Amino acid sequence: MSDSLSLLFAVLVFPGGLFALVLGLAIKGVDRRVAARLQRRVGPPLLQPFFDLIKLSRKETMVPAQASAFIFRWVPLVGLSAMALAAAMIPINGVYQPSTELGDLLALFYLLAVPAVVLMLAGSASGSPFGAIGFSREMAIMLAYEGPVLLALLSVAIRVGVGEGHLISLSLSDIVAYQIAHGPFLLDPWMWPALLTFLCFFPANLGVLPFDIPEAETEVLEGPLLEYSGPSLGLFKMMSAVKCVVVLGLGITLFLPGGPDGIAGLLVFAVKCTVLAVLGVTVVRTAMGRMRIDQAFYFFLKWPAALGIASLVIVLARS
Amino acid sequence: MNAQNPSLLSRLSSKSPWLYRINAGSCNGCDVELATTAIIPRYDVERLGCQYCGSPKHADIVLITGPLTIRVKDKVLRLYEEIPDPKVTVAVGVCPISGGVFRDSYAIAGPLDNFIPVDINIPGCPPRPQAIIEGIAKAIAIWQSRI
Amino acid sequence: MWFLPVLIRNLLKGPSTEAFPFGEAMTPKKMRARIAFDPESCALCRVCARICPAGAIQFEKRPDGLEFNLWHNSCVFCGLCTLYCESEGLHATGDWHLSHPQSEKYDLVEKATVKFQKCSKCGKQKMPAPLPLMAKLYPGLSADEIERLRAMCPQCRKAETAPQDGGTQ
Repeated sequence: MSDSLSLLFAVLVFPGGLFALVLGLAIKGVDRRVAARLQRRVGPPLLQPFFDLIKLSRKETMVPAQASAFIFRWVPLVGLSAMALAAAMIPINGVYQPSTELGDLLALFYLLAVPAVVLMLAGSASGSPFGAIGFSREMAIMLAYEGPVLLALLSVAIRVGVGEGHLISLSLSDIVAYQIAHGPFLLDPWMWPALLTFLCFFPANLGVLPFDIPEAETEVLEGPLLEYSGPSLGLFKMMSAVKCVVVLGLGITLFLPGGPDGIAGLLVFAVKCTVLAVLGVTVVRTAMGRMRIDQAFYFFLKWPAALGIASLVIVLARS
Repeated sequence: MNAQNPSLLSRLSSKSPWLYRINAGSCNGCDVELATTAIIPRYDVERLGCQYCGSPKHADIVLITGPLTIRVKDKVLRLYEEIPDPKVTVAVGVCPISGGVFRDSYAIAGPLDNFIPVDINIPGCPPRPQAIIEGIAKAIAIWQSRI
Repeated sequence: MWFLPVLIRNLLKGPSTEAFPFGEAMTPKKMRARIAFDPESCALCRVCARICPAGAIQFEKRPDGLEFNLWHNSCVFCGLCTLYCESEGLHATGDWHLSHPQSEKYDLVEKATVKFQKCSKCGKQKMPAPLPLMAKLYPGLSADEIERLRAMCPQCRKAETAPQDGGTQ
């Protein structure tokens, strides 16, 4: 009983749900502010994403006549709950350890695909041609980035597994423990190909420039989100905020875990997330323009795939 | 909700007005000035929490440029209906307000306020970016009393 | 990687945003915005109404003169009226604070009645002859002389300024 209660708490309040939502929105605020500063603008207030959410909750929801209303209404909730569950899998060192059945790398990886699937469903359920275009683009780019990133994750898992004496270790807690004992992978040049692959995966999964092709607001009018308004759009914003924390947390878990106990550990986690977001997302999206879908597709099958294979070969050769 | 004493939620909501542009047959002059308010660091409309969004369903403040030509009239009215309530309409440039140099043309259905309830007018041909920002600030004040 | 120096420079230089909605905005000196009308300097030639491409300027008959109307919601700031106004009654100002709520849409008018005058010599009703125009027409005359001529109708003025002895003036 207490197990399921604590699981519920982990998914809904901390570190999933509420905590991840607040942290994700704060990171998005910092991201917008820093992007503005990089462009010599003043930028919005730091709490802007919170204001956006409050505003969206007070607007009217419109369901298009040609949409399939059931899927259209409920699919954002699926995405948000999947992300809340994924956030409960991220270990925060010294503060939170997911239970063994939760903290699994592969499960987390598959949960990370749920938002993309949700966007596809939303796009196709909205009955709008732009939604359909967004759907096909989302699918194409997801097919392109899943493979290379899986290679990078596998190389980390194999490295940890071999280090611990068995073939592969998919437990996030083990990965964290190994790095705390042997130093973070960030400082190990042999793991940098995997890190680079992961950095390419960031903007694509979070849907920001140069890979915001499915949601390109100037081309396909925000694609799958085109027909959403008011509270349901707010659910999508919440989903993307929590996803932001999950992806950043995954990156930190894989390459730079560790930190003090208690509140300080939370702060260190938040700061690490923010720094990673600024370097991996904000700088990239400020500096680059949007790729075409075919360019992005070839890019992922070329560089991140090559890096992923290289990283796997290196890890296998050195073990 | 009374306009003098908006609730806390209204005040917080009014910090996030998303803008949507409708080109009702404009010559593109006003559209360029609208784009400058977002893109050029000197004007930076994002300070007010504004954000140009691609979809009418996301919009709060709709900025309409152009004299409302007959060919585009039905589409503009449809787009306007697609914007969820509450919303504020801003006519940018003299064309939607009075027709400007196109007034009395056989191709013009406008002025805009014959078809759509306009809240704020920003005259100019085109209005300079600061004037647009001033108009948006006035529109935000109206929007605060509506949401 | 070429973009990194640019980004770092941008960060160090800080924002270049104007303070405008919260502070004063820069207005160029020669900016053409709201057109201002000076009824004292209007000769009622109505070239401005004819030349205005947007039809923003209209004259209306009043019992004692003509009423000048300039609707700012139609004016396109082209400046043709200020160029063609020989009597310098129209000027472009730098005032661009023209945005207004819909309720004030038809109040945004520059309105003034220019009155007809009586000729000081023959007593007939005549169009006004503003000072800047007269100064251009009669260069070299003293201010008192121009004031005297201004008060006359064109016929009387012609008679007055024609050389009386058949010689050149």
